[in-house]
Amino acid sequence: MADVTVIGQGIFLRGSIRGDGDVEIRGRIEGDVEVAGEVTIGEAALVKADIQARRIVVRGAVAGNLTGEDGVRLEEGARVVGDLRGAGIGIAEGALLHGNVQTGTGGAERGRARQATREARQPARVEPRKTPAVAAKGNSSPRKEKAAEERPAPPPPVVPVLKKGSRAALRKRSR
Amino acid sequence: MASTVISQGITIEGELTTEDDVVIEGTLRGKLVSKDTVKVETGAVVEADIAASSLSVGGQITGNVTATDRVDLMAGARLIGDVKAARLTIADGASFKGNVDMDV
Amino acid sequence: MARSSSTSHGETAVLGKGTHLRGRIAGDGDLRVEGTVSGDVALKGHLTVDDGAEITADVQARSVVVAGAVEGDISAVEAVAIRSGARVSGAIRGASISIEEGATVNGRIDADFELPPELGGKGGR
Repeated sequence: MADVTVIGQGIFLRGSIRGDGDVEIRGRIEGDVEVAGEVTIGEAALVKADIQARRIVVRGAVAGNLTGEDGVRLEEGARVVGDLRGAGIGIAEGALLHGNVQTGTGGAERGRARQATREARQPARVEPRKTPAVAAKGNSSPRKEKAAEERPAPPPPVVPVLKKGSRAALRKRSR
Repeated sequence: MASTVISQGITIEGELTTEDDVVIEGTLRGKLVSKDTVKVETGAVVEADIAASSLSVGGQITGNVTATDRVDLMAGARLIGDVKAARLTIADGASFKGNVDMDV
Repeated sequence: MARSSSTSHGETAVLGKGTHLRGRIAGDGDLRVEGTVSGDVALKGHLTVDDGAEITADVQARSVVVAGAVEGDISAVEAVAIRSGARVSGAIRGASISIEEGATVNGRIDADFELPPELGGKGGR
């Protein structure tokens, strides 16, 4: 699967990840993630970010809201504090959540009068994905880590370099 | 096999309306209307009016009882309330206090 | 003597399909709801809400399995399992909460845990 970006277990990334492909997070992230593909969060991952993707599968710890168009799935080992929104939401035995769940894309079921808080949720956090601009770049960001040598990659958007421990180096990294 | 069973440790308060047959082993307070049979077992405590096709009582009922068919009070049963039924049997050892109307 | 075989303490109570209860249920032991209930349920045992059953009120039990519809808060000491096809509208609390894909759920979920300290929680696992 050539199109997967992997953020390894030893990585601590502060920033955002945007793009078209799939992302697998095994390390630590603080920021936000917005991709057109699938986001997988590994068992040992520590994610402090809102995530928006086509599909999200969680096996690790997340503090942030998860929006997966096609669905959000928390597998055993997942620990999530945040809201889940998506067409199909699954929480396996052994997965733990503190947050709101709303199944069906944006469909609000009949609610009870006293669940006023539930209705008051869903601020405009769910921005439209900036896919047109990113698509034009042709998968640049997700491939960055692996394909740096292969391609003289077009300048990445906001994605910092996925290099171990070099947070400061992010900004300075080559275009 | 009954379709609705209120077992021994359960207390129901309210109006129970059903097409099922009912077995009460626990506690019922309120009202019970069944299109089918109702059995109040030994140990059950019912503080409710009951309407059923037929009623069999081994436990305790405080309330008025109406059956389209029959009412049977077993030994050990205690009924305080009126009975309206086409047929009625009261076994030796049952307690009953109330009026009987067999003119259904 | 028409005494049916006596049932032991703790056998599952059943509110059958054709049963509607407007009122509350409380007690020890387990309960399976196949009909409709509009009134609170508070049990020391397990609660099963069958496919086709509807409870409109808050429910509380040691553990809860929902295959039908619950409009109200669900609170369990142990596990809550929401099956595919279920419809739940309300807050859900339990030691663990699982939701099958295909369930319709709207509300706040609160399982019993803390995030690791790196993410602001009070404990690791």
